[in-house]
Amino acid sequence: MPNTSLIDVVKRGGKRPTEHFDREKLYASVLAACLSVRSPQGMAESAADSVCGTVIAWCANKPEVTSDDLRRVAANHLTVIHPEAAYLYKHHRLVL
Amino acid sequence: MYLFCLYRYAYGINSVGLYLKIKHMNILDAFIIVAVAALIHASFQLSVSMLTMLSSHTIGAKRSHARLLGLTNAFTFGVMVMTILVLSTISLIMQLSLNDSANLIAWVATCGLMFGLGISVWIFYYRKEQGTTLWLPRSLARYLSDRTKATKQAGEAFGLGVSSVIAELLFIAAPIMVSALVLVELSPIWQLTGIAFYTLISLLPLFIVSGLIGSGHKISHIQRWREQNKSFLQFIAGSSLVALGFYLYVDQVLTPTVMAAAGSL
Repeated sequence: MPNTSLIDVVKRGGKRPTEHFDREKLYASVLAACLSVRSPQGMAESAADSVCGTVIAWCANKPEVTSDDLRRVAANHLTVIHPEAAYLYKHHRLVL
Repeated sequence: MYLFCLYRYAYGINSVGLYLKIKHMNILDAFIIVAVAALIHASFQLSVSMLTMLSSHTIGAKRSHARLLGLTNAFTFGVMVMTILVLSTISLIMQLSLNDSANLIAWVATCGLMFGLGISVWIFYYRKEQGTTLWLPRSLARYLSDRTKATKQAGEAFGLGVSSVIAELLFIAAPIMVSALVLVELSPIWQLTGIAFYTLISLLPLFIVSGLIGSGHKISHIQRWREQNKSFLQFIAGSSLVALGFYLYVDQVLTPTVMAAAGSL
């Protein structure tokens, strides 16, 4: 597994300082989206693991990524394995 | 006989055939106008958006079903209390300040407000992007969104419900003012009934969404339905404001003015 803690994540809008890639943060956000659509815990954890794997593979050779990129790649993969959760994951900023 | 009495009561006619206190409209007409105004209020979506978001984060954070119901009920109760307070306050102000000539001016102003808001709803109630993003300034939307995500206690949810009504005052002002103007012409017992009637109808979407969430429906289905039908809701809300404004202008402003002019000939 690549050392993801060396990847810098540029935050949305570029106003907040960059931070190191945190797998747990990505995992928690995908898990929450899956649980929000009332997926069983096991299925939600499995989907979150799968998305994290895909995102880590995608950014393995990149020194710097944006948080929007991470969200887009995660959402694209989640759409394949769990469309309902992907819908909420993509739209959570577009409710209000 | 019973139906006859009910008819006379509904139309505000007393035992000698004279109209009761109502000056310009009967009780049935008044309640129909209040119902339409409340339905227009119900078509505004900020409270529903916040309730959807609150439920989504509560379920996503693996909180219990009892906690979910507690938060959604507290939120709905907050919206209910604030709606009652706003409508009662505006009704009281109108009752204390309006006389016959000021009443006409108030109707003209309210009808103008309804036309203006109706067109505003058509143009910018929803933003032209994906999702159900509303007209709110982004800083306020972000603040409400952050507060909604951070809500864990029923008291916070209640406060959130209260603030959702305040945040949407710009748009709900018109239906509330119409209802207040109509209600102040009724007797006190009918005023209270009218306030309860308005509140219940304006909260219908919240009751429906709370019921759906409580009975286990997926938030994504509710949100997807809202997104697919947002243009329709926007059109209906704007059109209803314009139509009700036009009807009330003819009924409350033009007709009395023309009748008075005809009487003075």
